[in-house]
Order: sequence, then structure tokens, then C-alpha cells
Amino acid sequence: MTKLSMKERYHLLTRDLDWTPTYVAPEEVYPHSRYEGIKIHDWGAWEDPFRLTVDAYCKYQAEKDKKLYAVIDSFAQGQGHLGLSDASYVNAVKLFIQGVSPLEYQAHRHFGYLARHLDGAGARFASLCQSLDEIRHAQTQIHTISNYNKHYAGMHDWQKMHQRVWYLSVPKSYFDDALSAGPFEFMTAISFSFEYLLTNLLFVPFMSGASFNGDLATMTFGFSAQSDESRHMTLGLEVIKFMLEQDEGNVPIVQDWIDKWFWRGYRLTTLVAAMMDYFLPKKVMSWKEAFELYFEEQMLGGLFPDLAYYGINPPRHVAQAQAEKEYVSHQVYWILYQYTHAAAFNTTIPSDEAMAWLTESYPTTFDRYYKPLWDKAKAIEAGGGRFYNMALPQLCQVCQIPMGFTEPGDPGQICFRQSEYEGELYNFCSDGCQWIFDREPEKYVQAWLPVHQIYQGNCGGATIPDVLAWYGIAEGDNLDYAVSTDKTSWDEWHAKGGN
Amino acid sequence: MGYELRTMVVEPKRQTFDPLVARFGDRPATRYQEGSFDVQATEHFHYRPTWDPAHELYDVDYSALKLTDNYRYADPRQYYYATYVTDAAARYEAFAQTLAYVEDRRLLDRLPEGWRRVLTGAVIPLRHYEQGAQLISSQAARFSYGTTISQAATYAAFDRIGNAQLYSLVGLALAGGGSDALSEAKENWLSAPSLQPLRRIVEELLVEKDWASGLVALDLVDARLYPLLFTELDERALADGAMAYSLIARHLSDWYGSQQKWLAPLLEAWTTDPTYAEANQKVLADIEDRWQGRATDAVRAVAKLIDGAVR
Amino acid sequence: MSAPTTVRWVGVDLQETDATRAIVEAIETDNADITIKHFPGMIKIQSPGPLHINRSTVEEKYGRPWETHEFQLAIISYAGNIANWDDDEIVIKWEH
Repeated sequence: MTKLSMKERYHLLTRDLDWTPTYVAPEEVYPHSRYEGIKIHDWGAWEDPFRLTVDAYCKYQAEKDKKLYAVIDSFAQGQGHLGLSDASYVNAVKLFIQGVSPLEYQAHRHFGYLARHLDGAGARFASLCQSLDEIRHAQTQIHTISNYNKHYAGMHDWQKMHQRVWYLSVPKSYFDDALSAGPFEFMTAISFSFEYLLTNLLFVPFMSGASFNGDLATMTFGFSAQSDESRHMTLGLEVIKFMLEQDEGNVPIVQDWIDKWFWRGYRLTTLVAAMMDYFLPKKVMSWKEAFELYFEEQMLGGLFPDLAYYGINPPRHVAQAQAEKEYVSHQVYWILYQYTHAAAFNTTIPSDEAMAWLTESYPTTFDRYYKPLWDKAKAIEAGGGRFYNMALPQLCQVCQIPMGFTEPGDPGQICFRQSEYEGELYNFCSDGCQWIFDREPEKYVQAWLPVHQIYQGNCGGATIPDVLAWYGIAEGDNLDYAVSTDKTSWDEWHAKGGN
Repeated sequence: MGYELRTMVVEPKRQTFDPLVARFGDRPATRYQEGSFDVQATEHFHYRPTWDPAHELYDVDYSALKLTDNYRYADPRQYYYATYVTDAAARYEAFAQTLAYVEDRRLLDRLPEGWRRVLTGAVIPLRHYEQGAQLISSQAARFSYGTTISQAATYAAFDRIGNAQLYSLVGLALAGGGSDALSEAKENWLSAPSLQPLRRIVEELLVEKDWASGLVALDLVDARLYPLLFTELDERALADGAMAYSLIARHLSDWYGSQQKWLAPLLEAWTTDPTYAEANQKVLADIEDRWQGRATDAVRAVAKLIDGAVR
Repeated sequence: MSAPTTVRWVGVDLQETDATRAIVEAIETDNADITIKHFPGMIKIQSPGPLHINRSTVEEKYGRPWETHEFQLAIISYAGNIANWDDDEIVIKWEH
């Protein structure tokens, strides 16, 4: 009996299923595959490193899920949340379910789109598998975090919050941007930029943060999802190389997309930077360290020399991201701190121990520029107050983060850029976001900016309580950790009957 | 030696997430419910799709068939990812065992005359039919509205490639591990007269923009094809001593049963909707008018080949 | 701006379980100059050059048949390119 190689067998079970239609025009079957200007001459050159057929996929994934759910169940049963480093850790989980889990679902839906609309059978099948993986991630996260929702605030209406709350329009608009793009740009944005280039910056902080702070369930989810992520990373790298190898004309298009999606994604990760430097009671590493390891070393040092072969350069505006590693987490957390009255998580003044760690981790910036802000906040607190900014912030038209970033090289100056389009003025936090806008203004003018919407009366009313109600933010969800229901509960649980 | 037991039980503050409380009451929700209800975004989309600027990213107008509340539909199998892959893995394991037995006992070699022709002329070419069916199902997975419908369509899409792979494995087994039977089946799919009406209907459904029309019309074909090949013909195979056929057929008819389990309630949701029942019924009647006759003709052509082979 | 270092590390992160111990031993046997670091629940393997995982070596260490497919269950993450994955080996390296 002839034994086919794994490669041949896989080909027969996937690509060989395909045929060229003759009763309808092939271009009508794949109407979206040419309008971006990407030229593909031979889909036969597509590589499939993982070669998983449907039966093997189901077998391995079922095994992984059996183990994962056993851990989730056992953590819940054993009231594992009581063993967290501190209840304040749960604010990282809140940010995750509000901000990240809905993105998994978006990815699930749109890889389903690619499973229909890419006109290469190998790439379609890989996309179909990824679509399944992403709903796995969305649901295992929901199921894991369901247990936290039972005991902690801020997670009870994550679906509504993701769609309405101001800081969550940052991740939501990022994925809406990708979904509204064509199939090849989507793959560059998500498979390459999100799932390869920036993936460790997004997930290591959360998953390692979980591990360091006693969140066994989330940590186990992280490890379990990571093996799926290997397939996703492979797809990301494959699609970039495939486009670059298929036609020289693709190179400048792909370069532009790499430039755009690096910056758009990097701005999104600054929320994670704030989380890892300030939300975690037990720190994993600083944002600066994470950026140096996972981006500068692995990507600029490892990946981009590989891509240089094709004429691809490191992303435009990368130098600013590198410079910002010294301070961006402080800027973003300061924004979140002052607007916590309108957020579905708690923030607080860092403890003395945390401050010392920040000083040590950021020797050139923290003591000089950001500790004075905390000293001020402490003084207000000592006087019985708590600094909440009652004015609504100006948001960047592109990344939608409040414009609290500073001019590169000038820490005393807020960075403020402006473009005019069809008689209207649009504001940006950086050269990177302005560059993104100027390429596609007709897209970015459509954005549903949370602050504009409040002023237009579309967010429940004219007062902050009105808006919070419309956001789905309930009593206990917002305000400082020091006065939170989470802290009250935590102290209660750990006071009774000894530990 | 003693050990410390945690004795204090912390009462939950909440039983589940708010949307589930609103729908099902203040009690713990099932995993299916938590992972499926109200998960998809419904408002404040930031940008219009550049590939279809007339619609939003998620839009009820991707189909003429509408529901007042899309979550009126739920998959009775309650498949969320973990339960789906677990069941699917079991199905594929069962098939692998059947195929191993069939190969071990050389039952494909021992098929009575004509049954080999049934396989190469009708069954193995369905690997391409199923590829088309995946594309149609994936269109539904992306463009339907609401997680409950989309999710069921997603698993159906994966099933269809699974089916395609099962047919391919049969083809490999038939040719002793080589690709000859698969090449023959592909040739048949592309040019054998008995399969052209089927191929044509699949291709036309690929360019059907309304995801629900595509799904419903595809089901009209399945509804004729699957019972013919894997229930009726199974009986004939047993009578003829075509053991291999009967053993394999069971798996495919089981799959078809599972497919009906999620589709039938969707059709019912459309036809009994408090606002859209009448309008939906009209749309479904139109779909039937347009595709039913053609579905029948396509499957009849396949049936004719089978009759010719194993009368 | 950090200059690219002359050594471009390739690597793989594996789950620390019974099953993966054989894989790690096989990698150690078949690859020179690798570094192995242990973290809770995870093993980090790095190589200055291409990393080879050979089925036959894994089977030897494991004492039972092993398919390269099973690597799916062990892997957490990797750095580099999957240059080859067939019935007998998996190779991870940078291409250019």
C-alpha cells in the first residue's frame, strides 16, 4: 500500500478539494480579492507548515479543552480567587474581559470571512481553523471570567461596555478598522501585526500577570491558548512572505500596511503597558523590559532582518515607540487614574513599594516627571479628597486615546497634531496617528468618538450619572480601589476565621 | 498528619452576566448561554466595510430573512466550542475505526460489481460538493446576525470540510493509499454528465449574496442527496452484500441528522417570528420556487448513475 | 536604536509536562549549543541556529511511537520560522 507523505496527504485533503468554477465567473465567486491592488499569481506557492486536518484538529483541541475546563472548574470549586495576591489584581481581569475578549470574537467572525473570500484554498482552510480557534478563546475567557464576575465588580455587562465606554473604543475601533479593510490588509493587520509582531506585548503581561498573582485559571487559559497562537503566528508570517514573494508591486502596499498597523497596534498596547506597570500587585516585568525583549530584540533584531530580504523596512514611527518605552505607561495610567469615576475598574495611588519599583524600573523618567504627579495626588488624598478630572478629554481621531501623550523629546509639551479634511479639523496624539489619518481620511472621519458622542447627547444624557448608567457602569464598578466594594469584600473574606 | 480545610464559603454577588439575567432570570447560566448570547457587537461600528460600503460590519440586512430578536434562535445541540470539538472528535474517531476495519478486511476490494462505480461516480466526488458547501456555510457564519446563528453555521462549515476529508479518505482507501480514485472523482466532478447539474447548483449558490438563501437552498440539495445516498442506498448495499458501503454510510447519515437538528429550528424561528413571519414565509417560498426543482433534478441525475451501476 | 545582534536566536517554549520531557531530551540530543530555561509550567529552549525536532529521537527517549503532530500539544510559542514540518522532523529557523 503506497504511503503518501504528510505533505501530499494534506494537499489531497485540503487544496485538492478546490476547483475552478465554470458555470459562474470565478471573479464573481471571490469579488473582494483584487480591489486592494495585491497581485497573487500562484496560490500553489502557499505553504502550510502545520498540516492539521479536521479530524486531528478536533482530537487535539478536544484534549486541550478537557484539561483547561478541568482547571477552570477546580479553581472555581476551590474558591481559588481567595488565593489571589490581592483583589486589586482583578482590575487586570476586568480590562481583559471588557477590552480583549470581544476582540477574540471579532477575529472569529472575520477569519470566517476569510474562509469564504480568500481565493486560495490553503489560506482559506488555515483561516477556517483560526476562526474556530478564536471562538475557543472568546468562550474560554468568558467561562473563566464568569467566576470572577460572581465576586468582583466591573464585569457584569462587558458586552455593552465594550461597545459604549470611552476607553474601550480604543480596542473596538482597532478591530473595526481591520474588519472594514480588505482581506489582505486584514491579514496584515491581525495575522501579522497583532498575532505575530505585537502578540507577546499583548499577552505576556496578562498571562504572566495572572501567574504571578495567583490567577491559576487565567494562566492555564494563557498556556492553552498559546499553542493555538503558534498556528496563528505561522499564518501571519506566511501571509506576509507570500504577498511579498508573489509580486514586487505588493511590496510598497505591504510596507504601508506594516507601518500603519504597527503604530495602530502599538497605541493599543499602551493600555497594556499601564496595566502591567500599575494594575498588578506582583509585577512580572516593566513595560520597558517587555518592549525591549519582545519587540526590540525579537522583532527588530530577529524578524525584520528576515524581511529585509524582500525590501521591507522596520515600521515607520518605530523610533517614537522605542523612545516612549521610558514613560508611556505612566502617561496612560495617569489618564486612567484621573478618569476612574467613569471607568469600570478601580485605580489607586501606587503603594510605596510600587513607587520604589517604578523608580528603579524607569531611572531616567519616573522620579523626574511622574512621581511629582503622585505626590500631588497623595496630598489631595491626605486632605480627604481624590483627584478626578471632571472635564471630558479630547480624543485622538485615530487611536481614540485621550491626548495625554507628550511631544517626542519634550516631556513638558502635549503632542498635538491637526489635519483638515473637507472643511473640518481633526486632532491626533502623534505623527503616527496623523499619518494613518492622512492616508485614508474618508475612513477615519466616520469614527464614533465617545467624547463627541457624549456632547452630541447620544450617550444617555447631559450628566455623568446619566452617561454612566448608559455605559452600564453600576455602583461599585468605578472609583478608587481604596473605597471599592472589591476591597471591602476582600478584607472581609480574609479577616474571618484566619487564613 | 492534619491538613487545613477552607471552611468559609463566599456567597456569590452575581449569578451570571447581566444580559443573561435579563433573558433567563437571576440564576447561573449554562456555558452555552454565557458563550453565545449577546456576544456579537450590535452598535457603534466605527467604519463601514470597504468591501461593502452599503452595509455595516454586522447588519441584519445581509439577508432578506429577519428575526425580531436574533437570539430567539438557539442551537438545540447547545454546541459551544468545547462541546462541539469533543463530539466531532468522537465522530471522526468512530469513522477512523470503521475505515480501519474496512481496510483491514479488504472490504473495498470485495465490493460487488457496480458499487465501486457508485463510489467513484457519486460519493467520492462529493468531496468537492462539500468544499462548496463549506464556502456557503462560511458566508453564513460571517454575515448572519447574532452569535447563536453564526456559531451554528461556523461548526457546520467545519463539518463540511470534515465531510470532504472523509470522502477523500474513502477515495485514498479505495486506491490502496494512492491518489488515483481522487483524480478520477475530480474528473467526474468537473465533466461527468451525472454530476454537472449538482456542480452547477453549487457554483450558483456560491454567488448568492444572501447568506440565508444560500444556506436554505443548500439544505434543499442536502435533503435529497443525503437520504438517497446514505439511507436508501445503505439498504440496497446490505441486500447486495456491499458491506463497506453500509459501514461508511452510517457516519454520513448521522452527520446529516445533526445538521438537521440545528437548521430545522432556524427555519421555524423565521416562519413563526412575531414581526416577520409572513414576510419570511414569502422569502422562503421564493427560495423554494427558485431552487427546489433544480435540487431535485441535480440529485436525480446522480440517482440515475447509481441505478445504472447497481440495479 | 538597538542594532541587530549578530546572533539571531531561534526558540520554542514548551509546556512542562511528562509528555514534553521526552521532546526536550530529544532536542538536547540533536541540537548543539542550545540553552534550556525552566519556568513554572514552561520550558524555554533557545538555539543560535536552526532547531531540529526529530521524530525518531523523540520516540527513542519516549519509549513509544510519537507523531510529529503531537508537538501541537506541547508547544506554547516559538521564535523563528517553521521551515519544515513533516512525518519525520520539525525544523525552526530564520530564513534570510
